[in-house]
Parts: sequence; structure tokens; C-alpha cells
Amino acid sequence: MGYLRLLIQQLRMSILLALQYRLDFVVGALLSLIWIAAALVPLVVLFSQRSAVAGWRWHEALIVVGFFTALKGVLDGAIRPALQDVVERIRLGTLDYVLIKPADAQFLVSTTRFELFRVVDVVAGIALVVIALAYGGHWPSAAAIALCLLLLFAAALILYAIWIMVLCLAFIAVKVDNLSFLFASIYDAARWPAGIYRGVVSFVFTFVIPLAVMTTYPALALLERLSAQRTLSALATALVFALLARVAWLASIRRYTSAGG
Amino acid sequence: MTILSDTASVSHAIVANDLAKHYRVHRREAGISAALRSLFARRFETIRAVDGISFAIDPGERVGFLGPNGAGKTTTIKMMAGLLHPTTGTVTVAGHRPAARHHDFLRAITLVAGQKQQLFWDLPPVDTFELNRAIYDVPRAEYRQRLDELVGLLEIESVMQKPTRQLSLGERMKCELAAALIHRPALLFLDEPTIGLDIAMQATIRRFIADYNARHGASVLLTSHYMADVAALCPRVIVIDHGTIIYDGTLEALAQQLRPEKRIELRLTATANAPSAWDCGDRGRIVEREGTRIVIQAPQGVVKEILAQAIDELPINDLTVADAPLEEVLGALFDKAAADRQARDPDQTADTGKSVAIEKR
Repeated sequence: MGYLRLLIQQLRMSILLALQYRLDFVVGALLSLIWIAAALVPLVVLFSQRSAVAGWRWHEALIVVGFFTALKGVLDGAIRPALQDVVERIRLGTLDYVLIKPADAQFLVSTTRFELFRVVDVVAGIALVVIALAYGGHWPSAAAIALCLLLLFAAALILYAIWIMVLCLAFIAVKVDNLSFLFASIYDAARWPAGIYRGVVSFVFTFVIPLAVMTTYPALALLERLSAQRTLSALATALVFALLARVAWLASIRRYTSAGG
Repeated sequence: MTILSDTASVSHAIVANDLAKHYRVHRREAGISAALRSLFARRFETIRAVDGISFAIDPGERVGFLGPNGAGKTTTIKMMAGLLHPTTGTVTVAGHRPAARHHDFLRAITLVAGQKQQLFWDLPPVDTFELNRAIYDVPRAEYRQRLDELVGLLEIESVMQKPTRQLSLGERMKCELAAALIHRPALLFLDEPTIGLDIAMQATIRRFIADYNARHGASVLLTSHYMADVAALCPRVIVIDHGTIIYDGTLEALAQQLRPEKRIELRLTATANAPSAWDCGDRGRIVEREGTRIVIQAPQGVVKEILAQAIDELPINDLTVADAPLEEVLGALFDKAAADRQARDPDQTADTGKSVAIEKR
């Protein structure tokens, strides 16, 4: 219960910050909408030429784009700002103040900053999925929706775990800007159904950076085409990533050397 | 080196036993070619930032950590606050091993570093206070009461509602202290809390720290470059140089030991220049003679006789008798420590000091 209260308090700080800079909030939200529209262009172009790509029809691929957009909102709104903040704190040495607080340090650093205007991406992503379902004309069962939500949660967990591990590298390397850019551009590949990737790329996107698990599996769940085996492997992957991230974090805190005199 | 027994930790607030912290750092020469070379073959060296120190501090004690930059003061404080894991040795703070970062331990301490801030830059300090209230789980009523006390003592009523970025350095420092004390810790680690502040603000902060110590019986560990801070706040000082303790005791005893002589400063009437022939015999030594000013250094026992002679023979306008300045006492201590090191290990040059071992990787 204590941590829930703390989370609310941290959210409150982010809301106060957003209110402090209202113009920034509005501009950010507008930019998000423009980017979502721009991201739809390649999909529209592709499906104007052919009716299906790697077994995915237009409205099915749109579901993947919808989840990609919503998860991007979660990543940019709830995961990346806080963890970029930590990199800055490591550089300046002010992570000291987080580490002397009587609460789990990973929890504190992970909840320290939210970019609230990214809610726009989450809402727009969900809207895309609803539009796609309406276009397909087949509404999923309650069980399929529940499974889809569970898989989306697992996807967010994997994104979070990858970011924590990138952050852990910052304890050693101090500057990880390029690594975070690299990850951001790799994540872009999750806008396409995983089936279009072949060979090595397919292997990497399933096991190393499990993009397939992130957006394609929830879409398949919603279309009631995801096997039980794949569901379990997705959940297991999320669990393994979360545990790895925790271990990496604890090891990093041990070797934290602080900065400044 | 004295090794304190384990039972001692029960009654002490802090016990350090042979505590050491060594860092491996990457080192390269200046310039592009050296930087390129270091991309492939990095040279590492081990720096003994803290090299086996032992001490015990009682609850309610105020102790000053003194030493030149890089002496190991901050590293010691960070080990006591649980931020750094000691390389060897042990430290017990409030009955806990700090590096374990047990929540009971973290509730008992606080850290204020003059060079680093915890206040949210874009929000008023009161929002950071509120966040800390939630983190330390301080009940509302108690929070109100503590905040009122801190606000009253630090006089921050009017500033704590303004965004931190609009505050002056002094106002911000006072708010930093308030944010660090909301949970009423029993142990204060203060790392250069008055750095960059003007004289009046330094005095305000000092008064506040002394007052907090008296009210709540909290132990205070302070590092500062301002001797006035240490002299005013800390009956006991621990002097660290090159990672080892070279003095632990009162400032008075240190001055007695190294500079036992008193300083007598005479100012003559404006028209009279100091007669170059005047001296006080072998009772004392004249260390300065300039214009209307004469400074004499002499043992405590003969001060009265010298004063009597001076008043008799010179047109005196004003006079003061004082101990040697603290900076000078410490300077003498560091010189002595450097000479001792040189004697022990003649290979080491006195100025590069830090014992290093270079390896290649």
C-alpha cells in the first residue's frame, strides 16, 4: 500500500511539472498526433498495392500499428523520461539522494518522471485498434480481450526491463545516449507484424529484443489466433527480462561510485 | 592503528574499523593521440581514496572532517551514508552496516551536499518536502509540526512557495536543509553545506545546525573548507590526509600541540612608525614589522611581560592577543604529515602523495 501512495505522490509531481509548463504540454500532444498520422503513411501505401502481407490483411496490420502506437506512448510517457533522468543523476552524482531514501531505489527512479501528454499516443493507439476491429467486422470475445491486455502488460514489462538494462550500462559508461537512440530505432520495427521478418532478423526480434512478443502477439490474441504455447512463451520471456533487469540493477547499485568531490 | 571492539558499536553512533576504499580509475595523458590509444589499451590505476581509518563517534557529537581536496573526506562520508561499499574494513552506523541500505538505517540518517541538490528545479521547495513526507511516511500532523519548526528556524516561509530555480543560493540551501530534515534524522552528514554562501548566510546555517543538534541530540558530521564553520560547530575534528587520519581530537589541543605560541599584534598611533630597533628580547620573536604594526609570537607564559614592556616603551593605539590562525595550524599539520610520509617511504614525492599502483588492461 505504501508504494501505491508513493506512486501517486510521484505522479502528482509530474502533473505539477506539466502544469508549470502548459505550452510544452499542448505542443507535445499536437506533435504526437502528427507523428501518429505520419506513421500510418507506409502502411496505407503498402496495402494500396496488395491485399495481404505475410498473411496479414490491412485491418489486421492496423491492429499491430495501434498497439505499437499505444506501447510507444507508454515507453515515451512512463518509462523513458524517468530512466533518462537517472542517467543525468548518475552523471551529476545526485543519484545519492535517491539511494539514501528508505524505499526501493529501482521503484523510486522508475517513477520519478512521467510525460503526461503521451497519453495522447495511448488513446490514439487504442482508437486505431477499435477502428481496425470495426473494419474487420469481427469483435473479439471477453477472454480474447483479457488475454490481449495481459500480453500488453508483458510487452510493457519487457520494454521497461530493456530500458533498466540500458540504464545499468550507464553506471559503467556514464553516457549512453547512443545506445538509447539505437534502442528507440530498433523499437520502430515493432510497427510491422513480426511475420514479415525472416531468418536472423526474425530470430533476433523473437528472442534477443522480443519485438514480436510486444505488438504482434497481443494483436494475434485479439484476432483469436495466438496458440497457448506462444502465449506462455511470451509471458515467460517477460518474466525472464524482468528478473534479468532486477539482477542487473542490484549489481549496478553495488558498483555505483557516485560523482563529485 | 587502534581496532575498536565490536561491543563498542552498541553505545556509539558510528564505529569505523580499518575502513578503506580503493578505486580503479582509467588514466590517460592529455591530447588526441593518447585518447585514441586509450580506446584500445586502457591504463588503470588503483587510488587509495581512504586507506584504513578507525574512529568512533558518540550520539549527539559534532565532528568536523578536515583535509585538503581529495583527502578522502567525502568518500568516508559516502561510505557512512551507505552510498559506497567499503573495499575493506567495517563501518557501523546507528547499529547498521550502511551498505546494506536497511530502511531503518536510511530513516536514521540524512545527507546534505552543498554541491548537489535534491530540490526539484522547476517546482517550489514545498513540493519536494511533500514528496519526502510520502517517502519517509511521516504522518500529516507530525509533518505539519516539523515543517513549522523548520520554516520558523530557517525563515523560509516566503520562499518555499516559489520555484526553486528562482531562489538565491542561500535560500535554496536553507530549503535543502529543510527537505533533508523532514524525517528528523538522528545523524546528519553534511558535506560542504555552506559552500558559496556569504558570511551572514554561513552564520545562519551554522546557528541552525547547532540548534538542531541541541534540540534533537542528533550527531553531526561536517566537512567544510571554511575553518569558521568547523571552529564554530565542531568541538572535535578528524583530520584526513592521503586517506589516513593524521589527527583526531579538539581544535584547541591541536593548536596547543603544533602552534603553542600566542600572537600579539600591536598597532601604534598613526604618526609613530614602528621603531626598527625595538624588540622584546628572547622572550618572543617579532614575525612582522610593517608601518604602524608589529606582530610578536611568544609562549603563553610571557605574554604579560611583553605587553607590560610594550605599553611602557611604545605609543600603542590598539592591541590583540590570539592563537595562531586555524589555517596555519592545519598547514603545519599537513607539512608534518608529508614529512612523516617522506621519511617512511622516500620514493614517494611529497606533492603527488596518493599511493597508486598502475596496471595495464
